[in-house]
Amino acid sequence: MDAEEKQDMIANFINEGEKDDAVRLLLEWSYQTSFKDVIFNVLEPMLTKWGKLWMQGKLSLAHGYLSGKVAEEFYLHASKDPEFTITSAKSKGTIILGNVEDDFHPLGRRLVSIYSQASGWNVIDLGNDVPAELFIEKAIENDASIIAVSAMMFTTAKNILKVRQELEKNSLSGKIKLAVGGAVFKLRPELVAEVGGDDTAATAMGASDLFDRLLKSIHS
Amino acid sequence: MNSLERVLATIPGNDTDYQPFMMVNSLIGARLINCDTFEYYHNPNLYFEGQKAVVEAFDPDLIITPFAFPLEAAAFGSELIYLPNYAPNVRKPIITELSQIDRLPELDYDNSPIIHYFLKSTNLIYETYKGQKALVSPIASPCDLPVLLMGTEMWIDTLLFHPKEVERIMKKMVKHFVRFGNELLANGATILGIPNDFLNLKMVTKKMFDSLYPYVADAFSQIKGPIAVHNGGYKVMSVIGDLAKLPNVAALFIENTESFDEARRIVGDKMVLMGNFNGPNFNNYSPERAKEITLKILNNRKNDKHFIFSTSNADIPFNTPVETIKVVVDTIRGFKKYS
Repeated sequence: MDAEEKQDMIANFINEGEKDDAVRLLLEWSYQTSFKDVIFNVLEPMLTKWGKLWMQGKLSLAHGYLSGKVAEEFYLHASKDPEFTITSAKSKGTIILGNVEDDFHPLGRRLVSIYSQASGWNVIDLGNDVPAELFIEKAIENDASIIAVSAMMFTTAKNILKVRQELEKNSLSGKIKLAVGGAVFKLRPELVAEVGGDDTAATAMGASDLFDRLLKSIHS
Repeated sequence: MNSLERVLATIPGNDTDYQPFMMVNSLIGARLINCDTFEYYHNPNLYFEGQKAVVEAFDPDLIITPFAFPLEAAAFGSELIYLPNYAPNVRKPIITELSQIDRLPELDYDNSPIIHYFLKSTNLIYETYKGQKALVSPIASPCDLPVLLMGTEMWIDTLLFHPKEVERIMKKMVKHFVRFGNELLANGATILGIPNDFLNLKMVTKKMFDSLYPYVADAFSQIKGPIAVHNGGYKVMSVIGDLAKLPNVAALFIENTESFDEARRIVGDKMVLMGNFNGPNFNNYSPERAKEITLKILNNRKNDKHFIFSTSNADIPFNTPVETIKVVVDTIRGFKKYS
């Protein structure tokens, strides 16, 4: 069976909601070859393909969630494999990720975390309801170039401005880029600038490209 | 012909004197009476005053009763957040683990202040405009309310991996929906307006859709009045045929980029179609652009007697210029539908 056929098999399981079968099969293949082989030749290309379909509106949010869950569980197994450590294998850089203060809607953030890790970013996920100061503290501590803040609603998106203010206060604007995301930014794109964001992505799948752009803008 | 007659004429497809219309202008009533939004969504008298101001300013054929699904979730215990110029939103859902489903409170429909707010607002509007205007009452679909009680991620996860819990919560949701929906109708609503985001393939897989559909069908079948299925914030064309078959559905909204002609091909000639002016984008349109969009929609539906012009998607933003809305209203009023 070639890699493309394997990708299709996993996609079919996910499509049917059969998460456990998808993870089981990925593990079986990993034991036959290696985690690295399955991640780079099966899982990541499949996620990329699905990401494109999702962005084109051809897959549902639930599909995105399911594929994320499969990847998450599989990476957990892979991380226990001594010969494979995802982050050290090909880290593009460190992202400090979290839902802004007062925001308790984790789905988008979690998908960003999963897909960005799959694309080679080292993601430090601070969870829900993160105060602005903590984003800055963790970015400095981990030498991160990007802070990514998620907010689902307008009511909480406004709190992102506090993160920008903290960056300014610490003279870090320009050195650390502020990525923003969440449903509200799709509805109101002008909000990105209003809350002090540097840029946004339309979906969680597009977050990795966004981080690439932001990182490039620091170095240019 | 008054507004109510005009709206009701669209069901059998009778001629009307001019194109009937509505707008999702629940929130903007607060601005028209210069009212704090927290008060507006708590005090039925203020909501009523706001909608009276909407009628005076724009004279829509359908008046909307409070459009604030998070309030329904708050009745069950979810925590809300209020910001000036916005409708309330859920800050913290009440359910954080699945075992809490069984502990969701049974609502006391006679004494709950939130339920009272919805019903009293509806009743005040009805008493003033009965026989003249149609009232549309937004209500959360039984398949969507869990999002406001446990968050999107947990609801998707539950639907995917916890069928017994789905059964348990949907039983409660259907029960609430039927009771609350019928209370709204009893208090004067002409029609219920219901988005079903979780009956949409942008949100769920086909398998999830198929598992939720029977619950929604069961709930709708127990409603003692007509239902308009709203598009929420999504395109609905891929499921519009299924939505049209739900019990008591008399009207369907489509999204602002979708085609009425395509919808007609799928649902036939008799179903009332509504939309498709982009409501949340209203404040970004110049009056000229708003007029252009309105005319395009009106010309497209020129000979469609089962059509009600409306905004699609969410509420019209608080800061939408009154002049822009009036341009749309004047364009509708001046349009010669059958000539």
